[in-house]
Amino acid sequence: MAEAATSRVQEFIGDPVSETPVVPRAKLEEIFKDIQDDLRFDHELNGCLNCGICTATCPAAHYYDFSPREIVQLLWTENLEGIYDAMQEKIWSCAQCYTCAARCPFGNSPGGLVMLMREVAIKHQMQSAKDVLRPFSRVMLKLISTGNQLAPDMINPQHFADWGPNISKVDAPLKVLRKAVPMATLNTTETAWEVNLKTSVELYTIWEMTGVLDQLEGIDENLFDVITDIMDEKRADWEDFQAEQEDDDDE
Amino acid sequence: MTNERVPQDGERFTGHGSEWKPANLTAGEAAIATAWVEQKIDRRSMLTNKDRVEDVRDAMWQLEKDGQIKVHRITEQHEPVEAKTLYGWTKRIPTTQLWHHKSCGQCGNIPGYPVSLLWLMNKMGIRYLDETDQTSCTAWNYHGSGIGNIESLAAVFLRNFHQAYVAAKAQGLPEGYYYPLVHCGTSFGNYKEVRAYLLHSARLRESVTKILGKLGRLVDGKLLIPEEVVHYSEWVHVMRNRIKEHQEIDASGIRATIHPACHVYKMVPEDAIYDDDILDGNRVAVSTGIMQALGANVIDYKTWYDCCGFGFRHIISEREFTRSFAIDRKIKVAVEEAQSDVMIGHDTGCITTLDKNQWIGKAAGKAYELPVMADCQFAALVCGADPYRIVQTHWHASPIETLLEKLGIDWKAKKADFEDYLTTIQTGDADQLYDPRLRITSGPGFKPVKREVVPPPPAD
Repeated sequence: MAEAATSRVQEFIGDPVSETPVVPRAKLEEIFKDIQDDLRFDHELNGCLNCGICTATCPAAHYYDFSPREIVQLLWTENLEGIYDAMQEKIWSCAQCYTCAARCPFGNSPGGLVMLMREVAIKHQMQSAKDVLRPFSRVMLKLISTGNQLAPDMINPQHFADWGPNISKVDAPLKVLRKAVPMATLNTTETAWEVNLKTSVELYTIWEMTGVLDQLEGIDENLFDVITDIMDEKRADWEDFQAEQEDDDDE
Repeated sequence: MTNERVPQDGERFTGHGSEWKPANLTAGEAAIATAWVEQKIDRRSMLTNKDRVEDVRDAMWQLEKDGQIKVHRITEQHEPVEAKTLYGWTKRIPTTQLWHHKSCGQCGNIPGYPVSLLWLMNKMGIRYLDETDQTSCTAWNYHGSGIGNIESLAAVFLRNFHQAYVAAKAQGLPEGYYYPLVHCGTSFGNYKEVRAYLLHSARLRESVTKILGKLGRLVDGKLLIPEEVVHYSEWVHVMRNRIKEHQEIDASGIRATIHPACHVYKMVPEDAIYDDDILDGNRVAVSTGIMQALGANVIDYKTWYDCCGFGFRHIISEREFTRSFAIDRKIKVAVEEAQSDVMIGHDTGCITTLDKNQWIGKAAGKAYELPVMADCQFAALVCGADPYRIVQTHWHASPIETLLEKLGIDWKAKKADFEDYLTTIQTGDADQLYDPRLRITSGPGFKPVKREVVPPPPAD
């Protein structure tokens, strides 16, 4: 256990990394460092006495091999291998309700820690993240290209068969039903509300500048290509509009 | 030392002391003995027994004093009403000149939710703006997929709230005229969390200042931070007695269960509204407050504190979890234990989850049926809103019709009327709650519309 400087945990508890880790120790350390470097880490993890109130109140713990107490313990004891293992599947069980955070006597946020681990799983392009996110591609496409996450045309029996036969209990074309919603912004079918062109372009700039598009490219290159094509067109439309405005001002 | 086990001879060690004996309680006795535990763990004391709780607004005012940020203030023009939060702190809720921060799940899936809210506002002459220059908060996607990060969430928050600040200029009105009102619980929790990180991290402020600067969305070169992040359920709560003045239908025969949303009151617990007069101050006050004001009977139930099972990614890709949790932990308990006539929520994902996941229960022999809707939809209904044109109940999969019958509403006649209306709007104009031209405040399609008077309420 001598290749890296010993940490607090290694000194007092012992090195949790086995002789034959599934990935090289340097990789395990890199992953943990990425989690720990997030500015939220110290806010979300303050200590842990293993009281388990988080797990007792956790909805996911009812149905999955998942325990927020275990997640906190792994991070608190810097169990690099255990952290890596939890990132393969367990972290995706969390329902993100934050009941654990509301209940923890230490003010920990196991749900918040899970989010840091999910982000890092994506950064490292873990296969688990790719598998888990495949069903999300429709949502991602809609969100990144329009600024809306969900749209009326996404709710249909093909995708939500278990919701029963009545998407609407009044039988009429979707377009007519949406026209009958008396908010002008909601007379849409492909987005939840009508989104200004400028708004979509601004959101896309945010995705670019915050590295979200890089995340997406690492996880799903095809989806990334589709989205960049759509957004290049929208940007061109917006630039055309601005140029027209300038021409009008000049006249 | 060998690995041979020491013979146990059936000996057990409890650690409770030699005086301890098994109580051998019956199931009924055990339920009574442990009832106090359930009462205790649901009380707000579980949320208030922590130290290290800070009021992040102190940091906000200091940053403004230091000239680092600009605060979008709630002023007298917004006619604020005060409420008390978990620790007894004061939160001011603006009641007029509101900028509707819409919810993608509500608008896309349960449109009667926002329509009911705007209809109530029209009824009371509240000034507002619903416009197209708004994005989703992106937090549903973030919590579900992990795509996104603190910078992207913060930049989206600041962009939308900056637009709320400047939107009135399109109507010839001053900046700050409108104050943002957040419809979605996920957005509400996310924005509050992000605001706290922005107030604490100079590094985060620096990185998003570059982004907001590029978008032209700084105020005097500074980030614009809202004095309060306000959820629509808080507006409904502080307006509950004024809403009651418009009540036309008696709700005293209704047994209602409340499903409070996790991201509304667990995510940033110190900002949730509590009221000693509502369930003895032990539970978050929003939704319960309006239902009680309208005369409905709010029935407590043992899984009140549980989430709905939405799970963000689960509702899309692990629906067996979502529907199992929704049925077993919420709907079943509300039906069997509380004998509820309706479950009332105040968030997008919860209402979708609890409403849509009842039908499949039949496949597992769990045919529980319970109408599910938002607090503002119920309020609109008893204030005389049309159940189809306004409350848009046809988008709900749960048996809303049974609730309508209990309220004495002839839903079959209303439905037939709505079907006729759909025929007429196929070729003609449809009703609107406000002047549709106001929805565009810049860019393609924008035409300046001076707005000097409050639009009249629509004809019912």
